[in-house]
Amino acid sequence: MHVLFLHQAFPAQFGRLGLELNKRYGWKCSFLIEDLSSCPTPTVEMLQRLEIQRLPLTEEFRKERLTPWPKAFGRHLQLCEAVFHAVRARRDLQPDLIVGHDGLGPALFLPELLSCPIVNYCEYYFAQRRRDISYRIDLPPAEPAEFYPRSINAATLVNLAAFSWGYAPTHWQRSTFPEHFQHKIEVHFDGIDTELYQPRRLPRTFAGRSIPDDHRLVTFVARGLESMRGFDLFMRVAERISRERSDVLFAVVGQDRSYYGWDRLHTGHPSFKQWVLNQMNYDPSRFIFVEHLQPDQLADLLCISDLHLYLTVPFVLSWSLFNALACGCVVLGSDVPPVREVISPGVNGLTEPLFDTDRQAEAALRVLADPAAYRPLGQAGRQLIVEKYSLEVTIPELKEYFERAAGGASGA
Amino acid sequence: MAQDPLQLLCIEPRFPGRLGGVADWLVRHRGYHCRFYCASTDPAEHWPPSTGKGLEVVGYQVGGAAREPAVTWIRYLERGLCHAYGCWETLDSRRPRPVELILGRSAGLGSALFAPVYLPGVPIVNFFDYFYHAHANDLAGEAGPDMPVEYFHWRRSANAMDLLDLESGAARWTATRWQRDLYPVEYHADFLVLHDGVDMTRTAPRGRTTRRVAGRTLPPDALVVSFVARNLDRVRGFDRFLELANRLQRRYPSLVCIALGGPVVQRGLDFQFFNQDYSARALKDNPPHDPQRLWILGSVAPARVAEVLAASDLHIYPSRPYPVSRSLLEALGCGCTVLAADTEPVREIVTDRETGLLAPEHDPDAWEKQACAVLDDLAGHRPLAEAAVQMVRENYNRDVTLPRLAAYFNELAERELPA
Repeated sequence: MHVLFLHQAFPAQFGRLGLELNKRYGWKCSFLIEDLSSCPTPTVEMLQRLEIQRLPLTEEFRKERLTPWPKAFGRHLQLCEAVFHAVRARRDLQPDLIVGHDGLGPALFLPELLSCPIVNYCEYYFAQRRRDISYRIDLPPAEPAEFYPRSINAATLVNLAAFSWGYAPTHWQRSTFPEHFQHKIEVHFDGIDTELYQPRRLPRTFAGRSIPDDHRLVTFVARGLESMRGFDLFMRVAERISRERSDVLFAVVGQDRSYYGWDRLHTGHPSFKQWVLNQMNYDPSRFIFVEHLQPDQLADLLCISDLHLYLTVPFVLSWSLFNALACGCVVLGSDVPPVREVISPGVNGLTEPLFDTDRQAEAALRVLADPAAYRPLGQAGRQLIVEKYSLEVTIPELKEYFERAAGGASGA
Repeated sequence: MAQDPLQLLCIEPRFPGRLGGVADWLVRHRGYHCRFYCASTDPAEHWPPSTGKGLEVVGYQVGGAAREPAVTWIRYLERGLCHAYGCWETLDSRRPRPVELILGRSAGLGSALFAPVYLPGVPIVNFFDYFYHAHANDLAGEAGPDMPVEYFHWRRSANAMDLLDLESGAARWTATRWQRDLYPVEYHADFLVLHDGVDMTRTAPRGRTTRRVAGRTLPPDALVVSFVARNLDRVRGFDRFLELANRLQRRYPSLVCIALGGPVVQRGLDFQFFNQDYSARALKDNPPHDPQRLWILGSVAPARVAEVLAASDLHIYPSRPYPVSRSLLEALGCGCTVLAADTEPVREIVTDRETGLLAPEHDPDAWEKQACAVLDDLAGHRPLAEAAVQMVRENYNRDVTLPRLAAYFNELAERELPA
């Protein structure tokens, strides 16, 4: 079978998926993308085995990362046009199925050229309140907050109305979509490489720094150190832990950039990280900040973590959470619905209310006082990932789903 | 059913638009107080009578893309969001209170989209006009091989504002089942299908003894064929009317054809002729057989429309598949014998050989044949017209439909009251 994947970035959600479909089943997987990504970066094997084409966009278009919200749909349509013309120029491109990210994968105009079914990757539907960018009402308000959620779903809605097939990675993500469209959306997770992310005994070093055996290591990983991923809340917890235990180090991975929210508008400061660090006197010797890790480096870090904190608002779960569980980390997450879909408190992890940093600190201190006592949680977390979220489980499921979709009506 | 007066906020890009007539009726017949927020207005002669007397018109300013004279189709949603934002800004600045119900019609411009930011918790009803299908309805089916592919790209993206409005938490209202059925099936069950109706008090008396139109007296033996549209454009089939008019004028020396409607195409979906005088182009392509007997009277006040319909022996409605125009219902309601295009939206209103006659869209010979049958036997076709009047009186009379709408509004407003 030949699948054409459409996404802003590569590999993103589809790169590893395409590679596995190619290696396991001999499928041809083509990609039309805006750009190669740095989080994660594509592997050499992906670049060799998959057909990847960058859209012929101007450098000005590529660099425009901060599209004002009224113009977001127009930008999406420009991408749809670019994809259309790229496909039209490739008469050899005759996929059996197209899989496009509903907000970032511009498949809307392809029914004018191709008659194969089109599948929406339904990642997320923004809410007007009590989720995602509107959740952190504890921060100073951002002016677009009332308007953005009412308009940003335009591309998603147009694709939902146009196409008959869709899937979301988790049940919670599916539940964010309007109820009357959920019948079109199945649930199939992307897949975690549980060979790469698995518990291993490793030397306790990170970023060139040795972690003494009698020290504890607390980890925090996010694409960006931003409010939606609770970076400021994490630092409050870390500060409390630091005061009570002198033997704890904190490894913080993430770029000094907000990917999802409006931290600059909330704080008036160009760097949310710096704004947070300015709030208190943190001991810099206790923190190791790294902007970006390759997957194998991340796996190594998670294997030596004594406690992993994941303090997200209700939003798409980070792969780092699944990676941490796969590595057998003891995970303390925010008690929000998407996290609870994965973490059962006391069974395979711990949860505490997002804004209650005192309770989070107390829970963290209990773990750090006796890490061995909590190891069974990490083992159960690993087991969950192996049984439900590993590539070994998800790839065959996605294959079967794509075969069904390819045999079904195009719906466009 | 409750018919209590409410404090109504109407939002539509242009006044009176479609909602102005509804608001006017509610003010005059149910004691509503209405604030009508709009970006622009029609000339005053088109304003309903309660304007300034219970129906207060408030202009909102627009910025950004909405201020540009023209934008590419890629920026249509952006323009609509600017309208919505401009309306919100004016609401936030003028702070109208109290408001018990918001009634919006976006016409693709989403003006009510951000009203809940100023008025959270106030129920909203949005009127939905039309959902584009890429290759069906209006002019899509006739797009030839030279049509730029971007036309279909636009059609696939044009529903973005309506979809945002559909998901805004507002109650959904449309005029006909056909219009509802254009929308994704997921929304059908929640739609109120109710036509806002026509004003049957505006009909002029029919009679063939003395007929005057636009100050001119028609000879008693003159046959009159009428065509009415907001604008003389392809969607409403002005080209088809001209073709039929010429054929009939060749046959009937006493036939006068009267067309009402503005010359400039205002529907953006007609990419080819938008903002142009399509009627001039149509007349050039199909010159009138006898210009003296083709009266093109332009855009006229409602009283003149009533005058023409009262004088009409046969009203032609050759519209492409599109929401039925008010003029069709007015023609039926005032006793015209109507010959209309046999399309799905028309068939919901007109039953062939019971309340009117239908002819295949693309068959000018069939149109001519049907029209001649009427003109050769006016009396024999009166029963169709009488049945049409009865049908409109029972189903599309404003005094029948708007009380039902008022009851619906009351029900919504009641639901939001604290216990």
